[in-house]
Amino acid sequence: MSYLHSEKAGIVSTGVRHVGDVVVRWLPLLIVTGLWELASGWVVVETVLPPPLDVLIIAVDLVVSGQIVGDLLVSLWRIIWGLSLAIGVGVVLGVTMARVDPIEDFFGVFMSLIYPLPKTALVPLAVLWLGSGSGTAILVVFLACLLPIVLNSYNAAESVDQNLVWSAKMMGTSDRDMFRRVVVPAAIPEIITGIRQAVPIAFVALVSAELIAANRGIGYRILSYGQLGIYESMLAVIVVISLAAYVGVRGFERIERRVLVWT
Amino acid sequence: MNEGRVIASNVEKVYRSERTPTTAIEDLSFEVGDGEFFSVVGPSGCGKSTLLYLIAGFLDVTSGMITVNDHAVEGPGTDRGVVFQDYALFPWKTVMGNVTYGLAENGVPKDERRETAQHFIDTMGLDGFEDTYPKELSGGMKQRVGLARTLAYDPKILLMDEPFGALDQPLREALQDNLLDIWRELGKTVVFITHDVEEAVYLSERVLIMTRHPGTRKQVIDIDLDRTQDREAIITSEEFTETKNEVWRSLREETKHTV
Ligand SMILES: Nc1ncnc2c1ncn2[C@@H]1O[C@H](COP(=O)(O)OP(=O)(O)OP(=O)(O)O)[C@@H](O)[C@H]1O
Ligand SMILES: [Mg+2]
Repeated sequence: MSYLHSEKAGIVSTGVRHVGDVVVRWLPLLIVTGLWELASGWVVVETVLPPPLDVLIIAVDLVVSGQIVGDLLVSLWRIIWGLSLAIGVGVVLGVTMARVDPIEDFFGVFMSLIYPLPKTALVPLAVLWLGSGSGTAILVVFLACLLPIVLNSYNAAESVDQNLVWSAKMMGTSDRDMFRRVVVPAAIPEIITGIRQAVPIAFVALVSAELIAANRGIGYRILSYGQLGIYESMLAVIVVISLAAYVGVRGFERIERRVLVWT
Repeated sequence: MNEGRVIASNVEKVYRSERTPTTAIEDLSFEVGDGEFFSVVGPSGCGKSTLLYLIAGFLDVTSGMITVNDHAVEGPGTDRGVVFQDYALFPWKTVMGNVTYGLAENGVPKDERRETAQHFIDTMGLDGFEDTYPKELSGGMKQRVGLARTLAYDPKILLMDEPFGALDQPLREALQDNLLDIWRELGKTVVFITHDVEEAVYLSERVLIMTRHPGTRKQVIDIDLDRTQDREAIITSEEFTETKNEVWRSLREETKHTV
């Protein structure tokens, strides 16, 4: 009897703990929404800061009616391109920089030049070369994502356990094969960390680029609603892109757990 | 052709990587015969791992020479297999993937690979863990995977760097006996590094005692035990105790200098 009782108590207490976790996780969002609700009308007039519920309804409507679906897709498309290019170039560059000294010397200079530069500062220049379409946005996303990916890949490949390389060597792996057999797999967890850091950066870079120069995309929509003074819609678009970024990060974490079963 | 003789003549190893060069090994000479079980003991930092890596071909000698079957060592080769103290398993590969790796690198067909690997996985008592990743294994199991992986591609010479150092006594003893069985059955040459005198005496036919840093040859002691007996009988025999004490005395002289 007492066994049953304690068993039940256990279930209840884990249930309570679970509810507690959920509350803690969503509490910040709740507080922000609450403050927003309070501020709207009290601190700032409703036309400038519409209440959250209104914004949410408009956000749903914008998506369901398809009004911003086109822009959302354009933006996501640009992110996918920019990020994929950054992954492709960044991983290869980072890993080879770590293992081949002349390549490190050569590209190291570029990396330290790009590092402190705010990538959006390049937008006006990029517009001259690529126009104010997808090219510019993709370039900015690419440059912004490149650094965390290169840096993490570089560190990962440089700190590969010497004994792993040696043990592959003694089993007959040639220097040429060492890259893909040992260095890259050993570096993958850290490479993926770099990519995970790049995902939110991609969203930030994209929206900034689109705010400056674009004729389509989410950033463009935010800007044009703002200029027209339709602040509910402007905020609604911001909510939509934030949600998209959240889904993107979460989705990536899920893929990460799948890929890294062995860590 | 397929012999496992190792000869070190006047080996010197200086590490130059840092600002001040470190002489790890100085004027070290010894011979290990084909099929011999040869242990190396010495104070910490005397250059035992360095010596093993030199034989393995991971590092180059600064002067002197190491030959394996009369060929100077010039880099790693599949005639020698290292069992690392920290296992050095590929974490992204399963037990089966780790054990088949060396076979795959040497062009063994897939079916044969799996068969050979399975044999050594079974020998090491790892059956049922073929699809497990190293992170899910205990230290003792990882070490057995390390041994299985090295045995699988059949190097003539086993180079072992304190392989059982991190294990508890019963497991240690089990793996020691396991290793002796394998050594007898497969006729490999074993160079075995340890800091455990009892282990060295129990396992090997000869023990090299190194001086403290920079390491050189202090003494080589022959061990004459009746190996047809079981462990209990061997370790309680008078020869065992005497040899152990002799090695201890020699080693203690070196450690005393260090402290
Ligand atoms: N990569 C390196 N660069 C410079 N010095 C090194 C390097 N590796 C080892 N040494 C030095 O060489 C000497 C021998 O090191 P080694 O690791 O071979 O000793 P060891 O006998 O294996 O010690 P332990 O019993 O603690 O494992 C030490 O003084 C060590 O500091
Ligand atoms: Mg050592």
